[in-house]
Amino acid sequence: MFQVNNLTYRYPRNPENTLKGVSFDIKQGEIFGLLGPSGVGKSTTQKIMVKLLTAYQGEIYYRNKELREFDREYYQEIGVGFEVPVHFSKLTAEENINFFKKLYRNQAHTDAMMQRLGIYEDRKKKVDEFSKGMKVRLNFVRAVLNRPAVLFLDEPTIGLDPANARIIKTMIKEFRKYGGTVLLSTHLMNDVDELCDRVAFMADGQIAEIDTPKNLKIKHGEKKLEVEYAEGETTKNASFDLETLSRNENFFNLVRTRQVISMHSQETTLDDIFIKITGVEKHG
Amino acid sequence: MANFFIILFGELQRMKRYNIVTASTVVALLWIGVLYLTEIPDITFIFPLLIYIDVTSMAILMVGVTIFYEKQEGSLHTMLVTPISKQDYLLSKSTVTVLSSVITLVILYLYAMIFKEIDLNFAGLLGAVILVALFHSLVGFLLTYSSRDFTALLINMMKYMFVLMLPVLLEYIRIIDHQLVENILYIAPTKAAMILLYASTGDAELWEIIYGLSYLVIGSAVLFVLALRKFEQFAVRESGV
Repeated sequence: MFQVNNLTYRYPRNPENTLKGVSFDIKQGEIFGLLGPSGVGKSTTQKIMVKLLTAYQGEIYYRNKELREFDREYYQEIGVGFEVPVHFSKLTAEENINFFKKLYRNQAHTDAMMQRLGIYEDRKKKVDEFSKGMKVRLNFVRAVLNRPAVLFLDEPTIGLDPANARIIKTMIKEFRKYGGTVLLSTHLMNDVDELCDRVAFMADGQIAEIDTPKNLKIKHGEKKLEVEYAEGETTKNASFDLETLSRNENFFNLVRTRQVISMHSQETTLDDIFIKITGVEKHG
Repeated sequence: MANFFIILFGELQRMKRYNIVTASTVVALLWIGVLYLTEIPDITFIFPLLIYIDVTSMAILMVGVTIFYEKQEGSLHTMLVTPISKQDYLLSKSTVTVLSSVITLVILYLYAMIFKEIDLNFAGLLGAVILVALFHSLVGFLLTYSSRDFTALLINMMKYMFVLMLPVLLEYIRIIDHQLVENILYIAPTKAAMILLYASTGDAELWEIIYGLSYLVIGSAVLFVLALRKFEQFAVRESGV
């Protein structure tokens, strides 16, 4: 769907490049996570991909055609979901949605979406009367109201309660199920774990690592099993290598003779990988 | 073009909801107050002066207000990623601004017709108002693009008023009465605007009308191109960069 080759960008007043040769591809029907701490270039990458910034070097192909060759028609095919509120606050939710809908050839059933997201009953209210969570949900409706082929989502569940976050995540998965492609940017690693088929970690204007969440966890995790067991009045821990576990007599002996309290594989989390790859801990 | 009308109707809807229409009506009522307090029965001479002040300042202000509203509430972000072309975006705002100026003109003219004596070519005045409002709405875009916030816009607008609007006004009410200054003022777009507005009273030579028309038509075209170019920079800046 997208092929990004050696993307470089420098803001007019910056002495150095913000993007320093970013390359990746996004396949059709994929949810692709673009992750990294603030200031590493992921917003710049997204802004270039939604044609807000045009003076870039390198190439971006969308459906095998260079992005520079697309005019405003490109926006008929994409949907952009912002983290910040983006609606006319003195208009009602319905008026906002209707205004934007008219700009597109393809139009989604927004009433049904609003019902699903629990804001249909409030559609006649002005947006400035909406809570933060309601505005986030309305942002999502705005992003998909043209039935886009590609969705660019920036923190789509931030500020939502778990139930509404679940609905949005389900809708994103359904979007993928019907062939939609998503570029997701978020700091919520649980969302990344649940949604993304592949993720790219950015650091210092470059792609530091790109793979599936599962492969990243295997690569960066320790292949160990930590066992917590009772011995008399105290609890003790033992660590076993996962690869030789099936032949490890000590492990079987422990399981047979001791009361096991807990047993955990030492698979790493995406949070740990984020910190390790991006070096955010060092700087933070 | 279809999108132009959608944006235009959207602009009109928002002008009403954001009380910009109300504010514009209040200003028109203030001008009516000024006319009411004028003891001269025949207001033919001062009528174009009021229209001049209203159209030039309100056109700049209205464009600035709507853009800063969009910027403040984030709606500009989402407008930038729609199929709306920048030409449609600029033209819709200019059209609404022109429309507002025309409404003010009609209100004031009706009042003048009913309660005062006035003798001018309304069609000519209407044409002049449309052109002057269009030109100044484009000035409004450029001033807005170069202003970080609404306060900065007001300061820029005050500079424009003191340097370009006020001297022309003072010339027409004969506080400035010096041939050299009057000649220098021909380089100001506000002079061209005043000439066209006063042409409706019959107080303009043909060459002056041609000068005024040419200045504002060509000037509007140049400003439109500049506003389109500056829009790119503004869009990048407002996208959070």
